[in-house]
Amino acid sequence: MDLGGIFDALLTIVSSPYHIFLLLIAVPIGMFFGAIPGLGGKLGIVLAIPFVFGMDATAGALFLIAMHSVVHTGGAVPSILFGVPGTGPDAATIVDGLPMTRNGEAGRALGAAFGASGLGGVIGGLFILAVLPLLRPIVLAFSPAEFFLLALFGITLIAMLSGESLIKGLMVGFLGLMMAFVTLDPQTGTQRYTFDLLFLWDGVDIITAVLGMFAIPEMIALGVAGGSMARADKAAGSYGLGSVFRGIGDVFRHWGLSLRTSLIGCFIGMIPGLGGDAASWICYGHAVQSSKTPERFGEGAVEGVIAPETANNSKEGGSLLPTLFFAVPGSSGMAILLGAFVMLGIQPGPGMALSGMDIVWVLIWGLMLANIIAVIMFILVAPGLGYLSYVRGNLLIPFVLVLTFLGAFLSHRAWENMVLLIFLGALGYFLKKYHWPRPPFVIGLILGPIAEDSFHKSMSLWGPAFLLRPGALIMIGLIVLSIAYYIWGVVKNKKKPEWQHAD
Amino acid sequence: MRIDAIWNGRVATALAMLLIFLSMSLLALGFPEKARLMPLLVGVPGTLLGLIQLVSEIRHARQESADDPDIRLTSAERSMFVWIFLFFVGVLGFGFSYAAPVLVFSFLYVGRKESLKIAVISAAATWAVLFGFFEKGFEIPLFPGLIVEWLLG
Repeated sequence: MDLGGIFDALLTIVSSPYHIFLLLIAVPIGMFFGAIPGLGGKLGIVLAIPFVFGMDATAGALFLIAMHSVVHTGGAVPSILFGVPGTGPDAATIVDGLPMTRNGEAGRALGAAFGASGLGGVIGGLFILAVLPLLRPIVLAFSPAEFFLLALFGITLIAMLSGESLIKGLMVGFLGLMMAFVTLDPQTGTQRYTFDLLFLWDGVDIITAVLGMFAIPEMIALGVAGGSMARADKAAGSYGLGSVFRGIGDVFRHWGLSLRTSLIGCFIGMIPGLGGDAASWICYGHAVQSSKTPERFGEGAVEGVIAPETANNSKEGGSLLPTLFFAVPGSSGMAILLGAFVMLGIQPGPGMALSGMDIVWVLIWGLMLANIIAVIMFILVAPGLGYLSYVRGNLLIPFVLVLTFLGAFLSHRAWENMVLLIFLGALGYFLKKYHWPRPPFVIGLILGPIAEDSFHKSMSLWGPAFLLRPGALIMIGLIVLSIAYYIWGVVKNKKKPEWQHAD
Repeated sequence: MRIDAIWNGRVATALAMLLIFLSMSLLALGFPEKARLMPLLVGVPGTLLGLIQLVSEIRHARQESADDPDIRLTSAERSMFVWIFLFFVGVLGFGFSYAAPVLVFSFLYVGRKESLKIAVISAAATWAVLFGFFEKGFEIPLFPGLIVEWLLG
């Protein structure tokens, strides 16, 4: 293990006031986006892109990873105080968090949530540090054949897990792939779908696509819904710092559970598409299952807050691995982060294991430091955090729209991207309105060039027989198994999939 | 069977997706052999999936037409689309520094009936971020706007 490189990266961060300043700015911004239901981390990252434009790669990546890694920390606030999850994965926290608030233990629940989030984030970072030496040779052993099938596997998984309908998910993923082909063909130099428009020669800009698919539809939906983002009873319990510290202490009193759920979160995060909701609910289930008094759960058991919150943050560490080394995002949030990394000049993929380890170490330390800073900041501002959920949508919409247009323009300094933004925004809104999952689009757009390049390389090296290579067969097996698992799940639950409209 | 009995937002979205895949696959046929391989490998299955989805949506619409979402936009949706289009046209014509504060003010004061104080403060904050933070602080030149560019030659 490159211990020198690991600690050099830590020194790079802590010895630079600029990097520390970025962390101190990024953490509250990430918590803000997590704490406001309806915004979420994905939107936070896309809106931060104009601000990291022009930063060097290390500083920009550090800022974004710090923001991203504490989104769920902030998301616990509305979940616990109002029963409104700030982000999807925070929903599991409501089950015991809200009863704790009703029992007059809001401060303890928030303390437990923040302590667990911080611990989970740190364990997630340490987990990557521990497994990287094992992962590196595996990454380097992957041939173009495996990368092509890994890209398909990533799209299949995200398509399955980001919505109720496999067909809709696959179609949106395929649409992302088709958009990735809007460029000059890398083999022949032929224009594909560019219609002689120069700005499309470099392809559809990922940042613009993400802004169009997520920011514009969210703002339309927010404008249509009106009011504040959290429609909940304002009578959240009042609390003091003493109860907050008691909650933080609970995390360490239940150290076995905290450690186990952190590790489970890391493993789940490593599986593309499975993170998020799955990690928090699986860990909540584990907490109930392993408790000697399971009847307390749902009535305000602090373990019911600790388990999902550790998993929420530790999974971010796990999901960094496939994102950075295989360019297969571990989650939709990571997909957007991946696009932002590319904009900063960081090229995720197997090459990271050879020449990009310095930035990998910085990201891991950034993730851990951000989680620690988030806990400290929370303690400082704890009593006022609940008000974040009452920020009115009306006030946010115009700012977000300006930043959205700004992000689309700055990503390639092309005003034409704003035209593209409008089209993709309209498409994204109708996909959202009619329940088509949007994350597969981003994954398809990002994986498209990797899939095409790997496919052509594989065909040149082995012809169609590349599909019979051992690694390729394993990947094909995984794709088939994952689809079979999906169908089995549908049959087992005795419900028709959404594309047959059991609803 | 009457078209309007099965025509709803879900059917329209599925049809739009199908048409996108179909047209992109047809366009790909005009590319050289190597260039069209991947677009066809994705486009043809995408078209088939689109057909399945469209048929599924139509069957659903025939069974439960009363519950289906209306294809027409609500007035709130139309209003948001108009505002977003105004932001687009404004920024495209007059650039970020000039158009954005005016648009923020208009959206809040005219569109959302916020108080004059909030609208003015928000517009000023927008200008401060765009002009002060980006253009002066980070020296990032923002898009000046096509009309402004034309006027300034």
